[in-house]
Amino acid sequence: MMIRVKMLANYREILPPEAINGVVELNVPMGTTVYDAISKFDIPLDDTSVIVLNGLTVELDTPLQEGDMVTAFSAIAGG
Amino acid sequence: MYGWHLKILRVNLTTRKVTTEEVDPKIARDYLGGRGWAIHYMYKEMDPMADPLSPANMLIFATGPLTATPAPTGNRYMVVTKSPLTGALAHSNSGGEFPTWMKRTGFDMFIFEGKASEPVYVLVNEDQVEVRSAAHLWGKDVHETTDILKAETSNDARVACIGQAGENLALMAAIMNDKHRAAARSGVGAVMGSKNLKAVVAMGNKNPPLHDPEGMRALSVETSKNVGVDVKKGSNMRIYGTSYVPQVTNTLGILPTRNFLQGTFEHVHNIDGDALKDNYLIRHTPCYRCPLSCGRLTEVPDGPYKGKGEGPEYETISSLGTGCGVSNLAALVKANYLCNEFGMDTITTGMTIAVAMEMYEKGYLSEEVIGMPLKFGDHDAMIAMIKKMAYMEGFGKDLAMGSYRLAEKYGHPELAVTVRKQEFPGYDPRGSQGMGLLYATSNKGASHMEGDVAYEEVFGVPVKENPLTTEGKPELVKHFEDSFALIDSSGLCVFVAIRYVFNKDRMIWPERLSEMMNLSTGAGYTPEEVMQAADRVYTLERMFLIKAGSGPEHDTLPHRMLHEPLPDGPAKGKVVELDKMLPEFYKKRGWDEKGYPTKEKLMELGLPF
Ligand code: SF4
Repeated sequence: MMIRVKMLANYREILPPEAINGVVELNVPMGTTVYDAISKFDIPLDDTSVIVLNGLTVELDTPLQEGDMVTAFSAIAGG
Repeated sequence: MYGWHLKILRVNLTTRKVTTEEVDPKIARDYLGGRGWAIHYMYKEMDPMADPLSPANMLIFATGPLTATPAPTGNRYMVVTKSPLTGALAHSNSGGEFPTWMKRTGFDMFIFEGKASEPVYVLVNEDQVEVRSAAHLWGKDVHETTDILKAETSNDARVACIGQAGENLALMAAIMNDKHRAAARSGVGAVMGSKNLKAVVAMGNKNPPLHDPEGMRALSVETSKNVGVDVKKGSNMRIYGTSYVPQVTNTLGILPTRNFLQGTFEHVHNIDGDALKDNYLIRHTPCYRCPLSCGRLTEVPDGPYKGKGEGPEYETISSLGTGCGVSNLAALVKANYLCNEFGMDTITTGMTIAVAMEMYEKGYLSEEVIGMPLKFGDHDAMIAMIKKMAYMEGFGKDLAMGSYRLAEKYGHPELAVTVRKQEFPGYDPRGSQGMGLLYATSNKGASHMEGDVAYEEVFGVPVKENPLTTEGKPELVKHFEDSFALIDSSGLCVFVAIRYVFNKDRMIWPERLSEMMNLSTGAGYTPEEVMQAADRVYTLERMFLIKAGSGPEHDTLPHRMLHEPLPDGPAKGKVVELDKMLPEFYKKRGWDEKGYPTKEKLMELGLPF
């Protein structure tokens, strides 16, 4: 199934060149979790990163569905 | 005592009498400094029912015990007064250089009272204090005023002043310092204008003596190095300043768009941090001695929006940008420059134009009344409105009263997205429930800077909280409110200082901050004591609000937030579930079920009852 991974701001630097606006498409097997998808990329997988599924807060072992978007950004106070 | 000078400068503008006062060390300790000292004096001396634009209002500039010390981001001051926009308290924070220079005059706090009979500025050069004519400055913008004052006093002086908006008593007028830094919110610039006080100029060499200078230096170096990812090269704040945030809030569906009609903006990529960096960024500019350096000098080199200045910050992008449906970055950058030059809060300015745009599109405001069409996304009309507001020209007179008064005058107060008549900042609380509770109860009306729970709900700092749930939020909001009262009283900037109030388990517990305060002041605070002092400050402010007629009956949210579900994005279908959070919040604060601090709570905090 096809899913998308999006990196925001400074995390974009680790994306491959084919990424458009920080988004890459991935073809992954059924049962792939948020964790499986995001761990393909070189970002810290601890509480210095925020990872959301379709903009929502979820557990990292949540299985993905066709068309899902996993987004990651660095945890830092702003605004 | 160390850290504090324990000295206040009081300037009565009516009589032009200047006095200096000692601060009781017990009061200094119990109220921390900055915002805390200011409310202590206001509560003691001022009639809370006073008209904010009358001579009876007090205008207080207050530094904290960490201002002008080596503590990283120890460069802040607070402007505290009764707000003409909200009728509640204003406490607006600003950095840059002026606050450090102000503390080096040898005074921790300046109190301005009364009203000058003609425009004046106040020069404070240590013990030499003069009230001088500002006739030649009236009508000048912030940049011109700053340049003239430095030329006629000293290049070593630093200037805080108002622009045309403050002179004309626009209710979104800011007090600007070092040209680009703003004590922005709640109309503090209008209070300064009402006193005919155009500017304050500070200079001197009286650094506060420190209790333990060596310890202070060591902890400051360690803090700069290790306090978090923020200050490291390559962090988002280092690269983008706050302009990276639209990408985050758009992802979560809480980016205020078209006066909160939507939570996502389809053109966000045109106006976010990358677009700004790639097109207009010149270099980064820090506040004094800040290891993070999140400010950005920018320039639009040519074309109709040509200009040079600092910013825009996230809050400007989410108000003058997405709030107004504007996707032209050059125009947005220019709008930000204009607000800084006229001395205006970009949040209230942008969201007031946004409500006027919605009212125009719905047919509640006509082209005749406005003087031109005013559709969402019309960036030239937006810029025209800013100028009209600053000069109070035509329809600008209505706009300059803020969105609530504007919408009410034309029959649709339900369209104003305000609490206590102050406009929301850039987090739609329908998708960030804790922020909804914060806005509803904040002592200064809707504001993120009263206790930014978005740090957890949105940014994952110190830990990520689900923004769509209400469980645990009352306690979290109280924690953040107290932490911000503490930071605002200490003289630090929240962007870095939020890291000073975590313990090693990433829970909010101010071990590092209390240690810093001790190295500065020698007051021997425990973390418990500084948290209790912050609670004291917050609760005394609440008492002021109650006496000012801005009490619990105003702890609510506008119609759109309670009754119109978000139509798009991840938080689609959500409203703010305020009634699920408010009773528990009152309990956590030690207030009764109606929202009044209990006698027991006041006694516990040593406050009058
Ligand atoms: S973090 Fe930014 S706003 Fe805060 S003191 Fe540093 S440069 Fe100034």
